[in-house]
Amino acid sequence: MKPAAFTYFAPRGLDEVLSLLGQYGPEAKPLAGGQSLVPLMNFRLAKPRYLIDLNRIPELAYIRREDGVLAVGAMARQFEAERSDAVKATVPLLVEALKLVGHPTIRHRGTVGGSIAHADPAAELPAAALALGAELVIRGPRGNRTVPAEDFFVGPFTTVLAPDELLTEVRFPVPSPGTGYAFVEVSRRHGDFAIVGVAALVGLGPDGTIERVSVVLCGAGPTPIRARQAEAALRGAAPTEERFREAGELAAREAQPASDIHASADYRRRVAAVLVRRALLTATERARERR
Amino acid sequence: MISGTATTYIGRRIPLVDGKEKVTGAARYPADLRLPGMLFGRPILSPYAHARIRAIRTDRARQVPGVVAVLTAADLPIQPEPTTRSRLILARDRVIFRGQPVALVLAENELAARDGAEAVEVDYEPLRPVIDPLTALTERDVLVWPGGVPGEKREDADVHAGPVNAAEQTAGGNLAARSTVGWGDVEAGFAQADLILETTYRTQFVHQNYLEPHAAVAAPDPLGGGITVYTSTQGQYIVRDLIADITGLPKSAVRVVPLKIGGGFGAKYGTLEPLAVAAALAVRRPVGIALTRAEDLLATTPAPATVIRLKTGVRRDGTLTALDANIYIDSGIYRAGISGIMAMLLGGYYRWPNLRIRTWEVLTNKPATGAYRAPGAPQATFAIESQMDELARRLGIDPLEFRLRNVAARGDRIPAATERRWPEIGAAACLSVVQNHPIWRDRRRNGRGVGLALGGWPGGLGPATAVCRLEEDGTLQLHVGSIDLGNGTDTALMLIAAEVLGLQPEKVRIIFGDTALGPFAGASGGSKITYTVGAAVVRAAQAAREKILRVAAEYLEANPDDLELKDGYVSVRGVPGRGISLGELGQRTYAGHRGLAPIVAEGESSIGRQAPGFTVQVVEVEVDPETGLIRPTRFLAVQDVGRAINPLTIEGQVHGGATQGLGWALMEQLVFDEQGELLTGSFLDYALPRAADVPGFEVELVEVPSELGPFGARGVGEPPIVPTLAAVANAVRDAAGVRITELPITPERLWRALR
Repeated sequence: MKPAAFTYFAPRGLDEVLSLLGQYGPEAKPLAGGQSLVPLMNFRLAKPRYLIDLNRIPELAYIRREDGVLAVGAMARQFEAERSDAVKATVPLLVEALKLVGHPTIRHRGTVGGSIAHADPAAELPAAALALGAELVIRGPRGNRTVPAEDFFVGPFTTVLAPDELLTEVRFPVPSPGTGYAFVEVSRRHGDFAIVGVAALVGLGPDGTIERVSVVLCGAGPTPIRARQAEAALRGAAPTEERFREAGELAAREAQPASDIHASADYRRRVAAVLVRRALLTATERARERR
Repeated sequence: MISGTATTYIGRRIPLVDGKEKVTGAARYPADLRLPGMLFGRPILSPYAHARIRAIRTDRARQVPGVVAVLTAADLPIQPEPTTRSRLILARDRVIFRGQPVALVLAENELAARDGAEAVEVDYEPLRPVIDPLTALTERDVLVWPGGVPGEKREDADVHAGPVNAAEQTAGGNLAARSTVGWGDVEAGFAQADLILETTYRTQFVHQNYLEPHAAVAAPDPLGGGITVYTSTQGQYIVRDLIADITGLPKSAVRVVPLKIGGGFGAKYGTLEPLAVAAALAVRRPVGIALTRAEDLLATTPAPATVIRLKTGVRRDGTLTALDANIYIDSGIYRAGISGIMAMLLGGYYRWPNLRIRTWEVLTNKPATGAYRAPGAPQATFAIESQMDELARRLGIDPLEFRLRNVAARGDRIPAATERRWPEIGAAACLSVVQNHPIWRDRRRNGRGVGLALGGWPGGLGPATAVCRLEEDGTLQLHVGSIDLGNGTDTALMLIAAEVLGLQPEKVRIIFGDTALGPFAGASGGSKITYTVGAAVVRAAQAAREKILRVAAEYLEANPDDLELKDGYVSVRGVPGRGISLGELGQRTYAGHRGLAPIVAEGESSIGRQAPGFTVQVVEVEVDPETGLIRPTRFLAVQDVGRAINPLTIEGQVHGGATQGLGWALMEQLVFDEQGELLTGSFLDYALPRAADVPGFEVELVEVPSELGPFGARGVGEPPIVPTLAAVANAVRDAAGVRITELPITPERLWRALR
């Protein structure tokens, strides 16, 4: 055994989870796929006294199409989402992001909800959620609430979730038909966290100009960052490489990257500009194909 | 020895004999071992690179349920101050690198040991460390060893490449050793040059990162005064001698039993065993210690960082005039001991009429550096092969042609303290193969870059013995003392015995002997097991064959010269139907039939000359200039193996070495901050190449037979990592137009160079 001692609960239902969280909240951690939490515990960087295992709660593991929304239960495995026809048909950006998350073995355990709740600023799924305008369904002792992705991420590994609350569902609005998408990143190796990455969505109007656009950076700040100025400059504009280059420059200015041993802030910022341009080009191409 | 002959089994592609047990998890390693009464040890590692230990408070830790003892240096019944990298014992009074063990918690189970370790309180007075090797050279106030560098004894000194270090002198301050080798007059050489190129190359600390972190179990003999050590090592006799030395026990009272090893790559010549033994003797119970990956990255012996300054002179027509090299080795807390080999390879690949190579082994407050697959060779080769490539480009000569014109061959001088010359080597032969290969011939037709580099390794030496026993069922037991590191030496030795005996390889079983059972083999390093132990196996199998034929002749009432031994059956030539199978023969000998005795035969060898192995690697890369990303897309390795005993496992060695080289070139590094803290202390931050990060490998084996190796074989394990670093840098130069002189070539490093 590597982690510090803890008390383990394996509840069978959501109500039991919420009651345990209510009882032990600040000293408890819900265990989803365990792909981040377990290493942290093994290094003893995290020492929760109570571990609430969500893996025996089938009611949280679903993927379903609702009216205009793809609803993903917090315990749906990343690999299931990646392979799901419903996801492919509705939010292919999520599939492209999922393929960059770790490796198949990791994705077989890792969950969509777990990655978003963990809120690693370099992770792909929080960026994809933000780009898609997802809503996060949260349950807790004070009732249910739904938080838009842009209000959900507070800082590195920090969200609006209170210790006694649980993320139960991620609701991805299905982009209108003809929306192009792209997720591109630079990482040291395939499957690593992004040094910097970009999620982009582009919807073209009847005249071929950009009608809807979404540009989000990961690995470029304390949370995934929505490049609002870049988006504003693109709306209504013709989808040309020059415009995308300018958008990249704007997005680079909006980035708040930090330096670490893997890359400098300067590199992240400059490469973000490149990746924004490339993501927009790919998304536009796909938008044209999908029209 | 028996080179150039037609063979039945040698040259076949035979899978590893122990592959199945390893991939199914059946193999047992030291961390799997549980002895009755065994305690689990958990070391407490220093958080500082340099500090005085004011006090170690252990009372809280002792109260943790399950904790049996908390040991500090004063509790160990052995020489307390560690003196070589093979003795990772407990620090006394001061710590001199981040990760140095200061105390050891012993507990009834792993969890209690770990909980106990968290409860040990150490009061440190941090001191200023010396981290940068060039600063350390002139530093007078902060010395890694204020009382002088301790004992020069290095347990693995003779394993790698033999005694090439004679010219080294010990020095003072933080300079552990320096040396100068050379000939001619470099200044005169530069005066004749049309082009003089001066470049400084830098490589970082990299870690061997074998799959299995260090682990050892020590068990005091309950009846006598001896001790048994179960460990994961490359050299059981080296560990035995080390333990005898620190405990004062006679060698015969120390038994070292190597279990399966999950890779060594030079790092496992004794590290953790002294601590396990000292702890076991202190509490008179078996003690097992298995490092975690994080502890292993902090406390064990990575490859040193280097700074290499080259000045080279060359004439317009491509004739070399002079090489002046200064090699600085960041040795960590003990001398790395690789100056000699670095000088030998850096100056030995090509014919330099004037040569001077100076080396400095510098001490810093970083972990003791150790051997890593061809120690020193990848760094030296990165420098000289980058330089040669650049010279060729600037002269407008094809880089391969330039090398062929200047490459060393038999009889050319090697930089060394005493005069040495190359024996028959395959360097030119490998270059010639590349010259005609499409990857080189058709390069630059797809917008990608292609680079090549030459590399060599002198090979190993040493005595070895082997024993063959014919069993009752007609199988052969082949007893050896060599440790198969996972590279396939057992499989190679099996093939050699099968070939000599005329027995199917699957009927040969390798029996491994620990230090108590023998037979003797040198440590598995320097690419020498097939070369040296293989020679002993040839002799043992020949002797067994002679005995078999003699016994069979008696039984068949025939002349031994008329007998033929093939596929496990002895027949009389020209007399169909008259013969005996080895199984039947075996049965009769074990039954004492007609006074026959079981067949056992020994063989020994003591190879005193090395058989260098050369290789040329060609890498194709795709570069994204906007992000600096580099993707290797094609890889050709051409290697002279003397004689390919088992091409399948040799290719495996090439894949592994080249993968490690790609990691070293592109992503791997131990990063230390100014205080000596390790910033890449886990696999989250220390990047190793994964399957998706390497291209498919094309391997072409060249066979320039060695003089003494079995069937002409040369050592094959080390060469594959040697040229990769330079080949990648040269490919990047070709693709992106910039010369990167510092490793690893991360995306950001290339990106900056392009700005």
